Amino acid sequence: MNASGCSLSAGRGSAEVLAGAVPNPRSSASAGFSFAHRLLCAMKGDVEPSNFGAEAARRELAILIERVAGGDRAALKVLYDRTSAKLYGICLRVLGDEADAQDSLQDIYLTVWKRAGLYDSAKASPITWLSVLARNRSIDRLRARRAPVEQLDAALEVADDAPSALAVAEQADDARRLSHCLEELEERARSAIRAAFFDGSTYPELAEREGVPLPTMKSWIRRGLLRLRGCLER
Amino acid sequence: MSDKRDRDEDRAALAAEHALRLLHGEPLQRARALEAKDAAFAAETARWRGRLAPLASEIDHAAPPGAVWDRIAAELGAESSAANDNAVGLRRRLVLWRSATGAMTAIAASLALVLALQPRQVVSPPVPSPVTRPASATPMVAMLGGDSGTKVVASWNPAARQLVLAVPGDMPADPAHAHELWVIPAGGKPRSLGTMGAGKQMHMTLAETLARLLQSGATIAISVEPPGGSPTGAPTGPVVAAGALTRA
Repeated sequence: MNASGCSLSAGRGSAEVLAGAVPNPRSSASAGFSFAHRLLCAMKGDVEPSNFGAEAARRELAILIERVAGGDRAALKVLYDRTSAKLYGICLRVLGDEADAQDSLQDIYLTVWKRAGLYDSAKASPITWLSVLARNRSIDRLRARRAPVEQLDAALEVADDAPSALAVAEQADDARRLSHCLEELEERARSAIRAAFFDGSTYPELAEREGVPLPTMKSWIRRGLLRLRGCLER
Repeated sequence: MSDKRDRDEDRAALAAEHALRLLHGEPLQRARALEAKDAAFAAETARWRGRLAPLASEIDHAAPPGAVWDRIAAELGAESSAANDNAVGLRRRLVLWRSATGAMTAIAASLALVLALQPRQVVSPPVPSPVTRPASATPMVAMLGGDSGTKVVASWNPAARQLVLAVPGDMPADPAHAHELWVIPAGGKPRSLGTMGAGKQMHMTLAETLARLLQSGATIAISVEPPGGSPTGAPTGPVVAAGALTRA
């Protein structure tokens, strides 16, 4: 195994996910980290240099999640240090309130602790899986603080810790194509889909916001989503 | 015909709406029920989560206050002191698997002894191809593990081209995944040695071309792969254990 040309800092610098990284204070975790890294160097010798950093970051996070699944707390702390800034950003965006976002973040990492075994690295990158979890958990919380009529739904949602809710499957080039395909939609469909994603809005809220009847909003979004899928699969 | 197409379109849109979290009331209950019992619907919902997830990269990162981790750590502490730790089965097995370091030392010692007692058979080496070295005739071992301890001991008898793997406790039985064994020659690419079965010991006789790769300094690694092994011929899943081959 060659140590040169396979330095950890190369992986750190180029991975967007690591922007919030802080140095890891746990020496035992550091040892595991370098273990994982040595493996990456050994096993990814055939990866193009330009992809190496992102691929290494992905593999390292996947190994951390695997270790969390095995009950390794030090691994959870490293995972938290490296991903919490991104996930807290998502919580804040959806919930719009710091205290709620912090509660949500706590809930998210406790879910990771309990459910890490459900992560499948063959289906989605670690950061995608964590981001989906963060958005969904924050929306659960958002709905739980809403009007009484919706509280039953919300309670069900929070209680619903079903494995299927954590199932995520992504295609490698989705990120690049998504913005292109969103651009191809009508403006009203695009902005409604974006609002639903970022604010966790439901159909009635979106309809009220745009001042259109509910069926109209549903038709905009449904048509938009099916067109989006058509474009992504072209 | 068009009824079926309408229904398929409706399902596809419902999966998207469900992933985007637009639904409430009756449609939400319907989507949840479908996700639980209809594999195709569940898969489409999972794909929609993946399709839309890149939008999250538009959101600015924000460092959470340190108190959040303190609260998480406190919860974990409370969990571990609870008598009824309802850890999922896989986690429990993995912890067992990982904590058996002491047992491993004993196994490693006994394996080393077996190797030491074996007469070093000198057999005529296989006809070497011009580009590869003949296999070293020296028995070797690799202790596969991470900082959490040794998980598997591999011993290699080049004369018999036999690789023996010893696992403390049981390998976690996980029908959804396979454990695949790899050899990574120094400076080379991983080559598969096959998937591992259950059981505490495993014997495999390697083909000559693979046997040549098991030189001192090569790495033996185990990765998690789909059932049946890596579809690509290279490791696709996380590596759970690895270690370098050294002379016994």
